[in-house]
Amino acid sequence: MRKTTALLLALVMVISLAACAAPAGTETAAGTEAAAGTEAAVETAADTKASEITLWTYPIGGWGNAETVDSLMADFKAATGISVKVEYLDYTNGDDQVNTAIEGKSAPDLIMEGPERLVANWGAKGYMADIADLWDDEDRKEVNSACQAACFTADGKCFEYPVVMTAHCMAVNYTALEKAGKADLVNKDTHTWTTQQFKYAVAALYAAGNDPVAAIFCGGQGGDQGTRAIINNMYGGTFTNAEHNAYTADSAENIKALEELQAMDGISFDASIVGGDEINLFRQGILKMAFCWNIAQQLNEDNNAAGLTNDGDEIVFMSFPAEDGNAKLCGGIWGFGIFDNGDAGKIEAAKEFIRYFCEGEGTEPAVKAAQYFAARTGVHGRDLSGIWSDNAIMNEYNKLMPYLGDYYQVTGGWAEARTAWWNMLQAVGSGASVADSVKTFCETANAAAK
Amino acid sequence: MLGKKSKLTRTVELTVIAILALLFLFPLYWIITGSFKTPQEVNSVVPVWWPYEWTLRNWKTLFSKLKAPVFEVMIPFSQYFSSDGLPIVMLKGVTGPAAIRWIINTVWMAVASMVLTCLTAGLAGYALAKKRFVGRRIVFTLIVCAMALPKQVILIPLIREMSALRLYNTMNAVIFPIVGWPFGVFLIKQFAEGIPDGILEAARIDGAGELQTFKTIVFPMIKPGIGALAIFTFISSWNDYFMQLIMLSSTNNLTISLGIAKMQAENSTDFGLIMAGAALAALPIITVFIIFQKYFTKGITMGAVKG
Amino acid sequence: MGSKTSLSKALVRRETISGYLFMLPCLFFFLTFVIYPMFMCVFTSFFDSNMGKNTTDVFIGLANYRELFSDRIFLGALRNTFVIVLVSVPVVMVFSLWVASAIYDMPMVLTSAFRCIFYLPVVTGSVAVTVVWKWMYNNYYGIFNFLGKNLGLIDKNINWLGDEKYALWCIILILLTTSVGQPIVLYVSALGNVDKTLIEAAEVDGANRSQVFRNVKWPQIMPTTLYILIITMINSFQCFALIQLLTSGGPNHSTDTIMYYIYYTAFKLYRYGYGNAMGVVLMIIIAVLSAVQFKLGSSDN
Repeated sequence: MRKTTALLLALVMVISLAACAAPAGTETAAGTEAAAGTEAAVETAADTKASEITLWTYPIGGWGNAETVDSLMADFKAATGISVKVEYLDYTNGDDQVNTAIEGKSAPDLIMEGPERLVANWGAKGYMADIADLWDDEDRKEVNSACQAACFTADGKCFEYPVVMTAHCMAVNYTALEKAGKADLVNKDTHTWTTQQFKYAVAALYAAGNDPVAAIFCGGQGGDQGTRAIINNMYGGTFTNAEHNAYTADSAENIKALEELQAMDGISFDASIVGGDEINLFRQGILKMAFCWNIAQQLNEDNNAAGLTNDGDEIVFMSFPAEDGNAKLCGGIWGFGIFDNGDAGKIEAAKEFIRYFCEGEGTEPAVKAAQYFAARTGVHGRDLSGIWSDNAIMNEYNKLMPYLGDYYQVTGGWAEARTAWWNMLQAVGSGASVADSVKTFCETANAAAK
Repeated sequence: MLGKKSKLTRTVELTVIAILALLFLFPLYWIITGSFKTPQEVNSVVPVWWPYEWTLRNWKTLFSKLKAPVFEVMIPFSQYFSSDGLPIVMLKGVTGPAAIRWIINTVWMAVASMVLTCLTAGLAGYALAKKRFVGRRIVFTLIVCAMALPKQVILIPLIREMSALRLYNTMNAVIFPIVGWPFGVFLIKQFAEGIPDGILEAARIDGAGELQTFKTIVFPMIKPGIGALAIFTFISSWNDYFMQLIMLSSTNNLTISLGIAKMQAENSTDFGLIMAGAALAALPIITVFIIFQKYFTKGITMGAVKG
Repeated sequence: MGSKTSLSKALVRRETISGYLFMLPCLFFFLTFVIYPMFMCVFTSFFDSNMGKNTTDVFIGLANYRELFSDRIFLGALRNTFVIVLVSVPVVMVFSLWVASAIYDMPMVLTSAFRCIFYLPVVTGSVAVTVVWKWMYNNYYGIFNFLGKNLGLIDKNINWLGDEKYALWCIILILLTTSVGQPIVLYVSALGNVDKTLIEAAEVDGANRSQVFRNVKWPQIMPTTLYILIITMINSFQCFALIQLLTSGGPNHSTDTIMYYIYYTAFKLYRYGYGNAMGVVLMIIIAVLSAVQFKLGSSDN
């Protein structure tokens, strides 16, 4: 009788443990082969490459699109024999997902995002593998120096290899502005304007019956650069100091800008939307300006031809307003980093991936897929400058690149600072005193920076 | 009976409740019609109550956006000897829409939780009610105490534990804590207490084994309780968004709730697509509910009366 | 229970062995996936435990707890949690009792149709339900603003979820629709089981409707009421999905609940020890409240 009991118990355990449990990763076209880990003998040897790795990517241009990425991965597999399982993250939950995965000891091998996450967050916390050995003198010469500075830590470690970059900007519904009779405020040739012109434009659009004209979205997560850039640039404030070790958002210039925005008719601080929502509302013609804009948005033709809203209004991308018109634009840098999961074979394979896409034959397709500008001028002598020569919009957008400012997103405690930033905007939007709110923000952020 | 309340109050009451019922139906109506609307109609400032032109665009996008093998069967325990700590796939279905995979995952998760919970709680509830073993009081106290606590408070230790056991990002990580939750034991204990000691005594004297006694005498008597527990566990695990959220990460392993939440985050204003996803998530369980409505209400009531 | 004294020593041993064998599968899951993490939660709450590969947990005694009670956001979350519980519990109780007593003596088909409809939001699941509500509350093309403006109730769009004044109430409203289903089902069956002869006897004695309700029905549905009270309370304390999906605790922390704030502390601020300390405080609060209710319930019976 006891035997049957024991048997039953054993059965329960087996049923439960046999329960469906799948390994991480969506199937990519390249990864349809047998599951990971069958060649155990090969993988345990420390310096042999793994035959399968995982990549998690945020929606960076076409890198968030399964079809595009599948074909890139198929080419990579053909060239190296390594198959890549890809997982697509979003900006709303992506960070939480990576953090739970790290806590659950199943971080991916490769991750694609910017230095603010890879270097300043996960790198600083010790989860990333140092890939400084991938750089030689030629790389140092070819890769944009701002990108290099952002990807290396002060002590010479590298946690990200950049592949593309851009400058973030804002956009205006030009047709709506024409209807409001103030089209002359926007210079379609230089794409720059002054704070005064921006304020007139908002007032004109508001007077024409648009309420709100633009939203300081503060629901959280992605797109924070847009909200920072509008506030910092209006009166020449900065977000951090030049050494990148303290947050300076409580300066008089920033307070002045925030107070004006808080009081401005037509500007709403909206905690119910995030950056992606703002872009969509702008495309739908509900908002007449967007702060979360860049070249990928200008090229987007999901709902209408590039550069037009869903209803066919003309979209003009603009630099952020500055008193003298010379804004310091926030850079976007995206590339790959490697999580150090203690498996040398996987790290080696992941480095192979980086060599292929960041400084090898896969670089052009990788850049094209991302729809941004290449982070380097050439790949070991192979010139990249002509990569977008056939694209008029890209060439036009190139006019903004000289305004690229300091890449301060690598300041310590960045993830905590970003969270605090949204809270600060929400407080200001609820009518709280600007001076107090930015002070609280800087205290929180600076505490995290230490 | 109608005569007992004045006819007027009765009519007013009925009208108000009928209106409320319509409001309760509205989300479902909106999800289903919304999934067939064009983006312009969905996002229209003036609500479009009935789609002008029915489009399958949203459903097509839903089924083409992400792909995954429709099912995967793993070798049990393989995560403990595979080279990368992940379970080894034994059998893999054809690649299809990820949304289908999510439904299959969810059904599997809910059914497995249900079966395991009923099994473990049935055995344990009986023992707690009828066996006079040493330490029974302590075990029971522990169970009652744990029952009142929101399980979410243990999320951080649970993630660490699951990763140490190599269960993180597997369905088991969601199923096991549900099975461990002691409400079922408590419920079955209440049912089992109604079994007369005499019958058990008689069975023992007749020489029936413990398991035989359980099968032939105890189980038929606690069957209503097991039924109630099964329904309760099925619904609550289907909708247990929190545990799924923290334990599952890869697209292949998501449940339908998580899948919809993920789509909502990725395409936050493509309401048409999200409505299609929501319809896909809601319709199976609503169908099950309507078919088994009688048992559902009975199960819920029984759970309350005894619990 | 009287048979206890008559059990011989051998029998006790036999009972203990078989008892534990029956309990084994259940205890395995219970101890491994509930009790152990619960213990770890209490244990880690005394440590400064952060995310980071090269960081080690440092014992800091009660510092996490001391910090909690000076953390304005935590106190706000505590307040919001209590607002949710204190508003939703009575409303759910009264509403479901009212609906149930109106529909329980209708023709069978109508009763079950209504019961089914009010239970729908529960089976539909919070994720699918929030999808619709998110649209209804939308600042730019939501139905509330559309109706409000057309009916002249409001003259300007209200940013329901983006405004501190309304956000928490919006959450509570959704919570209510997903909470009344089970109580209605329970009340309908409890009212149906009330002894008809007692009601008739009371009516013969000349009792009016409210007297019948107060003196005959109410005492008989008391156990159901208690059960509903407890489950509604626990449900309201656990409100998480709505907040995570709709507001992420914003704007300006006005919809933070303890549940959400634990999640936020763990995965946005990376402070595990601190998050666990909050978990312990919540455990204590719920344990105390449940104990009080159990006491009330047992003294009533």
